[in-house]
Amino acid sequence: MLIIKKYIPLAIVTIVGLLTLATYYVPAKASSAYLSTLNQWEVIVSGFAFLLGLISLLMTHYKKIAKRVDGWGYSLFVFIGFFAVVIPGIISHGAQAKDGVLTSLGWAFRYLYNPLAATMFAVLAFYIVSTAFRSFRIKSVQAFVLFIAAFILILGNVPAGQMLWDAMLGWTGICGIGDIIQWIMQVPSVAAKRGIMIGITIGAAVTSLKIIFGIERQYMGRD
Amino acid sequence: MENSMSIILGGWLSAGLTIFLFSFLYKDNPLFKIAEHLYLGVGMGWWFIVLLYGTWIPKAYEPFMQGEYVLIIPVLLGLSLVTQFIPRISWISRYGFTFIMGYGAGLVLPLNLATDFMAQIAGTIKPFSQLASMSWGAIINSFLIAIGAVCVLAYFYFSVEHKGIVKKASNIGIYFLMIYFGASFGNTVMARFSLLYGRFDLLYDFSGASYAFATPIIIILTVGFFALKHFMDKKKNSGAAQP
Repeated sequence: MLIIKKYIPLAIVTIVGLLTLATYYVPAKASSAYLSTLNQWEVIVSGFAFLLGLISLLMTHYKKIAKRVDGWGYSLFVFIGFFAVVIPGIISHGAQAKDGVLTSLGWAFRYLYNPLAATMFAVLAFYIVSTAFRSFRIKSVQAFVLFIAAFILILGNVPAGQMLWDAMLGWTGICGIGDIIQWIMQVPSVAAKRGIMIGITIGAAVTSLKIIFGIERQYMGRD
Repeated sequence: MENSMSIILGGWLSAGLTIFLFSFLYKDNPLFKIAEHLYLGVGMGWWFIVLLYGTWIPKAYEPFMQGEYVLIIPVLLGLSLVTQFIPRISWISRYGFTFIMGYGAGLVLPLNLATDFMAQIAGTIKPFSQLASMSWGAIINSFLIAIGAVCVLAYFYFSVEHKGIVKKASNIGIYFLMIYFGASFGNTVMARFSLLYGRFDLLYDFSGASYAFATPIIIILTVGFFALKHFMDKKKNSGAAQP
C-alpha cells in the first residue's frame, strides 16, 4: 500500500519534473510534442484544482445555511451570485456577445461581475491612503527615502502635481518631474528589482530541485 | 438581450452594487455584506464558466469525443484532487498534486534561470562593454544599477554575518529597496485611484435620465436605510437599558 500511496506519486513528480526540465535543454521534435501534450494536461488538471476551491466554498456556505449560524442569510447571496452567472453562462454557451449583441452572460459580466470586482479594488484606494497616513511616519532616513519616492511617483502622475512642480521648480530648467520618475523607475528601482529577482530565482531553483527529487514533499500531506 | 429595459436594469444593478460596496467606508453594514457575498458567488461562477467553456469542453471533452482517449489521464488526475474531501481516500489526490508540482517545477526551473537570473546579470554587466559609446549620464546610471543590485543581494545574503563591508553594502542596499518599494507603492496608489475614478465616472453616467436616475435614488435609499437602522438600533438599545 505504501508503494501506491507514497512511492508512485513521488515517482510521478520526479519523472514528470526531469522530463519537463530536459525538454528545455534538448531541442528536438519529441521535446516540443511532449511539452505541448503536458501543457494541455496541466491546464485540465489545474481546472480541477479550481473545482476543489469551488466545492469547498459552496460546502462552507451550505453548512452555514443548513445550521442557521449567525449571518447565514448572507451565504444565500453566494449561491444567488453563483447561479446568476452560471445559468446565463450555460444558456449562452459561454459567449458574451452574439452578432454584436450582449448575451445574458455578457449582461451578467457587465452589470454584475464588473462593478463588483472593480469597486472591490477601488475601495482599496481609501485603505491605501489611510495606511500610508499611519505608516509614513518618518522615523528614519530610510523611511524618508521611501516616502519621497512614493510622493514623487504620485505627484508626477497627476496633472496638478506636474503643474505644481513646474510652478515651483520649473525656473531651474534642470528637469521635469516626468524625467525624475523615469530615472527612479529605470535606475534605482531596476537595481533593487534585479537584486530581488536574482534572490528569488535562486530560492525558486533550489525549491524546484527539492520538489523534483522528492526532498520537499509537504504538498503531499501527512502519510 | 440589449433592449432599453435590460440596460436600465443593468444600470440600477451596477450602481446599486457599487454604492453598497462603497457603503463600507461609512461602517460595516448588511448592504456591504450582501454585495460582498454576491461578489464571491459571481466571481466563482464567472471562473467556472470560463473554465467550462475555455478548458474542460474544448480541451478535454471535445478532443476525447473525437478519439483522443489519452486525455482520460489528465481528467483522472484532475478528479483525483477532489478526493481531498473524503479523508479515507484523500491520498489519491497526491497523484494530481504531484503531477502539477512536477510539471511546474520542471518548467519553471530553466525558464526562471534564463529570464530572471542570467538575463538580469547580463543586463547589469552588458553596459560596461559599451562604455566608450555611452554618455556620462548613462555610465553613472549603469554603475548605480550594478552597485545597487550587488548591495541588495548583500542585504539578502544571510550566510555571512552582516558586519564590515557586508554591513555597509547591505545598508546601501536598503536605500535602493526603499526607493523601489516607494515607487511601487506610488504606482499602486495611482492604479487604485484610476479604478476609483472609473467607478465615480460610471456612477455619474447612471445618474442620468437614460438610467432612470439610478445613482441619486439608490444613494437616497441607502442613506434612508442607514438613518432608519440607526434610529431602530438606538430605540432597541434604550429599551434594553431600561430596567
